[in-house]
Amino acid sequence: MKPLEPVPRRSLFLPLGLLTVALIATSASAGPPERDFEDVTARAGVAARHHNRAFKNPYAAIMAGYTALGAAAAVADYDGDGFEDLFVTDSGETGKNHLYHNNGDLTFTDVAGKAGVADGNDASNATADALWLDYDNDGRPDLFVVRFGHNQLFHNEGNGTFKDVTRQAGLDRYANAITAIAFDYDRDGYVDLFVGSYFQPIDIFRPQTPRFFPESFETANNGGGLTVWRNQGNGTFKDVTREVGVNLSGWTLDLGHADADNDGDDDLYVACDFGTDRFLLNNGDGTFKDVTKETIGIDTKKGMNADWGDYDNDGWLDVFVTNITDDYMREGNFLWRNNGLDDKGKLSFTDVARETGTYDTGWGWGGKFFDYDDDGWLDLYVVNGWVSAGPESYVPDVFQMITRPNVDFADARNWPPMGNKSLSGYEKKRLFHNEAGTFREVAARHGLDSTRDGRGIAVADFDNDGRLDLFVANANAEPYLYHNVRPAGPHWATFLLEGRKSNRDAVGAQLRATAGGRTQLRFVDGGNGFASQSSRRIHFGLGGAPVIDRLEVRWPSGLRQTFTNLPAGRFYRLVEGEPDPKPFEPRKK
Amino acid sequence: MKRLRTLLLLAVCAAPALHAAAFDDAMKAVSAHNDAAALPLFESALTADPDNLQYSNEYRKAVIRTKEYDRAIDFYGKLTAAHPQAAFAWLNYGYTYVDKIPDAGSITQVILANNALTNFTKSIDLKKSWIALYTRGNSYLYWPKIFGRAPLGVADLEAAVAMARAEAKKKKVYVRSWIALGDGYWKTEQPEKAKATWREGLQLFPGDPQLQARLARDGEELEKYIYDQLDPNKRVDTNLAPLWEE
Repeated sequence: MKPLEPVPRRSLFLPLGLLTVALIATSASAGPPERDFEDVTARAGVAARHHNRAFKNPYAAIMAGYTALGAAAAVADYDGDGFEDLFVTDSGETGKNHLYHNNGDLTFTDVAGKAGVADGNDASNATADALWLDYDNDGRPDLFVVRFGHNQLFHNEGNGTFKDVTRQAGLDRYANAITAIAFDYDRDGYVDLFVGSYFQPIDIFRPQTPRFFPESFETANNGGGLTVWRNQGNGTFKDVTREVGVNLSGWTLDLGHADADNDGDDDLYVACDFGTDRFLLNNGDGTFKDVTKETIGIDTKKGMNADWGDYDNDGWLDVFVTNITDDYMREGNFLWRNNGLDDKGKLSFTDVARETGTYDTGWGWGGKFFDYDDDGWLDLYVVNGWVSAGPESYVPDVFQMITRPNVDFADARNWPPMGNKSLSGYEKKRLFHNEAGTFREVAARHGLDSTRDGRGIAVADFDNDGRLDLFVANANAEPYLYHNVRPAGPHWATFLLEGRKSNRDAVGAQLRATAGGRTQLRFVDGGNGFASQSSRRIHFGLGGAPVIDRLEVRWPSGLRQTFTNLPAGRFYRLVEGEPDPKPFEPRKK
Repeated sequence: MKRLRTLLLLAVCAAPALHAAAFDDAMKAVSAHNDAAALPLFESALTADPDNLQYSNEYRKAVIRTKEYDRAIDFYGKLTAAHPQAAFAWLNYGYTYVDKIPDAGSITQVILANNALTNFTKSIDLKKSWIALYTRGNSYLYWPKIFGRAPLGVADLEAAVAMARAEAKKKKVYVRSWIALGDGYWKTEQPEKAKATWREGLQLFPGDPQLQARLARDGEELEKYIYDQLDPNKRVDTNLAPLWEE
């Protein structure tokens, strides 16, 4: 701090006019910087608290420290009224899941009970995540509820209700599933299901063995891995995991798909706790190849999120992965910059988290790319914090176990109970503003630096005002709905895609918009990012450009279409194969 | 009997020559960029002279280049079992764990660091040397505050600084103990003592860039700088050559 300097005598004799100007200038610059987000959670009626599952078995006290999960949110306009709705999970044994119907005025009504999707929790099932997907291409989003136990598939009946079709779809199998995404890996026009599981498929509610914890902190391969369910196009799914070349048994926490090598099919990033993340390249023939070693290397970190976005606007999709960064464990996140293909056609990534300032987000969970200020650069919001409880730290307990010779980590009985201790708790969330490829942290300025234990982030324009809002699911706590209130100014345009030959939701479609001399790449994602699913609408921030000069759409089917001179400030509906964009006018109330 | 005595005498006289020859051959292999061939030769030399700091130093450098950390850990385990009184063998046993840390995952880093401390303690119990006290004291500073090890580090580093002060000739390498002691004071929330220690260090070792860098910073900038220095993902300089190169 600089010492106070005496006021020069002559300043006391400033002319009055000049003094007035000076005062105005001072008050303008001294005021608090404007916030771009407003917390509207309570007002919007979405404040129902999440409850962690309390297990009732001999290992319950130990498990409590490792299962503070299940707070998730998924966005879709399930009733087609033009407003994005929200499915929000609970995990407590008697906790109900919520289907928040968007009333169109930034308030919501929980209709889960009436719709038939509230009952996601009981003594043998705990909800962990949720995913909207139109598996039968009828134009109505169906709902997949991811659970420790048996997953649920609900068919959207189109009348505000859902029908449980899990068994008839062939998906009724026990798994300790924690994440799911849907994309059309074989490009047959139907989205397939990729389900990641944390624990191996033992009955976690009544374990028959104590040896179900991770065998290692860095190379564990005794987790639940990944199951690939192929959509057979007739309302059923088939487990094709081995057939498609997937053989993973890590502690999966998140999945993220994207066409990393721009070859027309979607590749897959698998974020794993207690060990190595995996990157699987789509061979284009309905199979995948594990290219982890060649592309990202073998890591030993605690991968928890996989969100793809072209943060540097170079036309190649990059991926953001959270890990643990704290005083006692300095792993650092990954921001895998996509280097594109070399002259031999080989894809590679470089971790630029340190260089871009996105390395440290504490004990990170969900992280989402989105352009909150419509400047044409993808910003990044990251939530964090494991367990925020009492003032005592759990760290020494864990390290005492770790440093014990020959300890069998797989045996849950060797892990110390957490009790009311905290571990990487009360961490502040981070909003990274993208400044042409590097980031500046601005969460506090915008009121987004809460300290609840964040898990999932769903991005959507809930009030159709052309600005992206945020819904944050917190573990064992109330969520947040942050309304984007940034003053109008920068231009934007939003696109809703409808596949014909491609899957109906056009998941996997790439859009390249050129405006104001810059080209941006966005794609329709099928649920990327930890414990959350954002809107499938494509939103372009255009900065000062009032028109998109050229929009190139590459549909999952391979069809390419180009549109020109699209005025900003509008919602467009693009139908595969149709030459002109259709107006898409979400109702305003 | 007389012949046997002569043979034994010859053997005793030849032993140093043998391990020196093994070390020389190892260094030749290193010069020829053949670390793989050098490793067993270094091990031969050390088996005959376990407390030789120079042998250990060159051996560990080759181990770092080849990333044969587990081999070295195994080797020193056997060496110290065979020579439990060899204080510098224990010290280097500790360094092999430290050398592996940047190439390990975050949890393994903790286990390695803990093992290193155990071996540094054994070395100090056998012989209170400046290098061992400095090394253990500095190692404590890498631990998160919650473990409360920084005060133990300060105690070691105060002893190391006292030993260095007592030396008539201040080797340049001793500056490290002033740097680390200041860091220890800073980590135990004694910023004034930290600055005073760094200032004293700078008087004794004028122009030292690390001391200057610390003294030029304050507050958050200093905190960031020190945490950056104590990042376990960065390789700690365990090269002992400055001890005898001056």
